Amino acid sequence: MRSLIAVALAAVFVAGCGSNVTLDPVTIPAPLIDPMPLSIAIRIPAEFEHFVHEDEVLGREKWRIDLGRSNAALFSQLFEFMFDEVTVIGPDDDASALSIDALIEPSIDAFEFSVPRQSKTEAYAVWIRYRLKIYDSAGDLYANWPLSAYGKSEEFGLTGDEPLKRAAILAMRDAAALTIMNLDKSTAISALKDRPPASVASAESQVAAAEAETASRKERGPLPKRRDVTLPPPGPVAGPAVLAMDPVDDGPTDTVREESTND
Amino acid sequence: MTEINYCLGKALTACLAALALGGCITSRVEDAREGITGIEEGESVVILAKSYHLGNETEGKYISCIEDALARGSNGLRVIPHKQFVDSLFPWFEPRTAPAETKGLPKLMERPGVAERIAEQNVRYIVWLDGDTDRVAGGGSLSCAAGPGGGGCFGFAWWQNDADYNAAVWDLKGLESAGSVTADVSGTSFLPALVIPIPLIARARAAACKGLAEQLREFILDEPEV
Repeated sequence: MRSLIAVALAAVFVAGCGSNVTLDPVTIPAPLIDPMPLSIAIRIPAEFEHFVHEDEVLGREKWRIDLGRSNAALFSQLFEFMFDEVTVIGPDDDASALSIDALIEPSIDAFEFSVPRQSKTEAYAVWIRYRLKIYDSAGDLYANWPLSAYGKSEEFGLTGDEPLKRAAILAMRDAAALTIMNLDKSTAISALKDRPPASVASAESQVAAAEAETASRKERGPLPKRRDVTLPPPGPVAGPAVLAMDPVDDGPTDTVREESTND
Repeated sequence: MTEINYCLGKALTACLAALALGGCITSRVEDAREGITGIEEGESVVILAKSYHLGNETEGKYISCIEDALARGSNGLRVIPHKQFVDSLFPWFEPRTAPAETKGLPKLMERPGVAERIAEQNVRYIVWLDGDTDRVAGGGSLSCAAGPGGGGCFGFAWWQNDADYNAAVWDLKGLESAGSVTADVSGTSFLPALVIPIPLIARARAAACKGLAEQLREFILDEPEV
């Protein structure tokens, strides 16, 4: 009986030192846009489908944020709204058999968050830096677009870890809005419609490209250890703190830069 | 027993006094009109917060308070909940994409489905809220102690909250700015304690909500101030 009580107390103690946040799949309202007349495939990498962020706040509280399927669900739904035809494929599926104009592969470069004790405000904030790689029908990398999303939520009306979940959902919604506004402007994906139809290159060639990039990242060194972040300063782009912490500017490699205007 | 009743009576009196009294509040509510306003039967209003991407920190609590206050009463306005409005026009009223100035409205209305969704909800005015409530000063000290024979507090503490809000009114009929209403409220709260602490709270945010909502309603209905 004593050991049972001890275990229970230990469990309570451990639970008190950290937080586990698990997001449910996120949905967005149907956007007021005309879909692009393109046939695309989305390849969902395994690490994107099961993204987990672990961090320590102020060196004390351990946070584990499991975005689960929320990102995959968000981008699948978003692209369904944005394009005429969409096929979702798994990380190991070969897209060469598909008759498509483009293949899009989303990933997460960085995830950061802040809680009220850090920012000295009543708000929870989440920054997510996504990357969309677009391959043409021949399987060549056509565009590589990083996009930074930001969400902020107060505690008002929410309890427990709900404000952080809300901030994460708002960041994802922000990413969706930014993608709708700027995907074509920043990547010229609509130009792929006029290219002669061909199958997308085999998965092996893309794996090789991904490995080459991973090697390149390793050469550039790891990301610096997380520091306490504050809310972004006023400005039209809401400069995510995470961008300032990245040691290298790994912006677009072969296409136009990310823009943040709504013109 | 009589002593306990006497103590309870004192505590009750102190609580009633605290409820009856409040902190000090100074308030200034003004409007600046740029055009003729007015609202017809069935037309509605939406209350939105300016984008946090622009550094705005208007609290959700304040937006809900203004929505409730505008809709209340015999001459209450028809208020569309902000979440419903933003969802119905996704993604054009998101924090990142919402128009920052009225000159962006004509282009926004040309986007597919936008004018239709606004017409469906019969939205005549969009009110953009900006501002927040901050604690700007405070001081004093208060200490409490408890023992087997009882407990109590002794001391005095005070703090000052400033609630500064601005409501910019956009008329969707003319796609132009109708003007703005501002509320600057300063509230100083006191907490004297002689055994029992007696909070004298100045609710600056609530006062700013009430003042701004009343002025906003007059502004939209175009009722001249008496």
